[in-house]
Amino acid sequence: MLLLLVPFCVWVIAFLILPAVGMLISSFQNEGGQGFTLGQYSKALTHPLYKTAILNSVMLSLVSSVIAIVIAVIGAYSFTTFSSKVRDRMLNISNVMTNFAGIPLAFAFMVLYGTNGMFTLLFKKLGLSFLTFDLYSWTGLGMVYIYFQIPLAILLIYPAMYAIKTEWKEASSLLGANSFQFWFRIGVPVILPGIVGTFSVLFANAMGAYATAYALVLRNFNLLPIQIGGLVSGDVFPRIELGSAMAIILFVILMIAMLINEKMLKLARKGY
Amino acid sequence: MSFVHIQNVTKVYNKNKVLDQVSLSISEGEFITLLGPSGCGKSTLLRAISGLNDITEGSITVGGKDITNLPPKKRNVGMVFQSYALFPNMTAFDNIAFGLKMDGLSKKEIEPMVNEMLDIIDLKGKENRYPSQLSGGQQQRVALARALVKKPTVLLLDEPLSALDAKIRRSLRTQIRLIQKRLNMTTIFVTHDQEEALTISDRIFVMNHGTVEQVGTPLEIYTSPKTEYVAKFIGNYNVWSRDQLKGIPMNGVPSQGEMFAVRPEAIQLVSTEQAGHIGEYTADGTITMATILGNVMRFDVDVAGLNIRVDMLNEHGIGRLNTGSRVKLVIPSIEWKNIQKSD
Repeated sequence: MLLLLVPFCVWVIAFLILPAVGMLISSFQNEGGQGFTLGQYSKALTHPLYKTAILNSVMLSLVSSVIAIVIAVIGAYSFTTFSSKVRDRMLNISNVMTNFAGIPLAFAFMVLYGTNGMFTLLFKKLGLSFLTFDLYSWTGLGMVYIYFQIPLAILLIYPAMYAIKTEWKEASSLLGANSFQFWFRIGVPVILPGIVGTFSVLFANAMGAYATAYALVLRNFNLLPIQIGGLVSGDVFPRIELGSAMAIILFVILMIAMLINEKMLKLARKGY
Repeated sequence: MSFVHIQNVTKVYNKNKVLDQVSLSISEGEFITLLGPSGCGKSTLLRAISGLNDITEGSITVGGKDITNLPPKKRNVGMVFQSYALFPNMTAFDNIAFGLKMDGLSKKEIEPMVNEMLDIIDLKGKENRYPSQLSGGQQQRVALARALVKKPTVLLLDEPLSALDAKIRRSLRTQIRLIQKRLNMTTIFVTHDQEEALTISDRIFVMNHGTVEQVGTPLEIYTSPKTEYVAKFIGNYNVWSRDQLKGIPMNGVPSQGEMFAVRPEAIQLVSTEQAGHIGEYTADGTITMATILGNVMRFDVDVAGLNIRVDMLNEHGIGRLNTGSRVKLVIPSIEWKNIQKSD
């Protein structure tokens, strides 16, 4: 039986552990891959270009995750009110949408909302210019991020929302609670662990998103994954060590997010 | 004078009459049971009383107050659900206190009331546990306390014991009955379990297809079923039509009536070899199956093609009656119950 684990172990070691260890070692080396230094981290955390990239990524991820969570909570709740047939279809659509990201998504947005996008031109023609927005701006980038976050958030929150029993609502109403009191005292506390967990997944999802942002704004926007990509593939020449340090910083941010998530989960569950 | 008065209540759902002109009266402090199989309308009626379901026609009065159109929270009824419906994010204490908090009572007022309830349901010391840390029986007791703490005018119990195992079910039903008597709480209990209904109730309302088929004390319902449906549902009655009895060599079949019910334990069974002392008997038969039900032995006896079910106390000497034994059956004339044929 243990023999069956060998391919898996080889795979994990070759494509996960070794590259990660290599990246970790590289992040502590001088340019050219020599010696030991903390200089790459110092540069990544103090140089305005890289510092801004980290902050921009964190902000974009936080904002898009919060907005997506709010929309997904309402959406997932509305799903629970549909018949099982409609519900299943909506969940299937969400499932497909979750996987619709990266370059195809960026292209779809360009076709619809780009400078000469279908809706951009249509809204202008109808005199509804206020409905248009600049896709190649932070707003546009945020919209695309929110778009690919929502279906994932719905899929992750839906089980928690579905677990809210009708009998709880009925019991609370018989005990004198109104709808707000039910959600405030029972509904939200029950789904809170689900929301917190989903938030951390969305945050990680947004922090690591590369293709969508790159296809949409190339390197015109300063984001952490785009900077890492640039450093590794090389603007003029590759700076693998600095790229590795930035990647480790990204990893640490995600780890911190996961730890906060775990703490929040414990608080939200409060023993039950 | 009735305390709960339900008059001509009809509920139509998707063109189906789930309740059809149901009327019933319950006295204050009475424990009644709505008994019937799934889909007979018993839970719908209970939910109509609680206000969780609206009704198409009719009226519901509790303590002289018409509550037909009141929202659930204004009816002052307590309800215990089959699935307990405890709030998972709250401790047992907070679950019980929830209704009092909603009424705007202070912590100082709430604490003694909840503690009194914890005493009644015998869960003192477990008040800080979450529902997931309690057993099924304990959870249901918390649910009961949560419903009782607000001192409702009527307590509604919707199959509260169905999710529990047999042993806990038996002990909890006794506990429910004791608490109900202690608080003199008017209680409406819903179940599909006839044994549960017979054990716990002052009166039983047997329901069928959205109507009340028979009302009576447990003894009346068990010993004198009025219809084929009640006879078949309430016990293991032998139910025969006159047509079925035609040509069967049996003595003492009543001359009146078209449908008959006979309790299996009311029939005496004696092996032919020992039957010397029996003077008048009903029929001769052959045992086709003998089943041990614990304290009772159940025999299926064939009398010229008619199957007769007989229950006898599992006492010394009964082992002589086996499959294939020839027996004489005695059905006392008083045990032939004339019943109406059900649709």
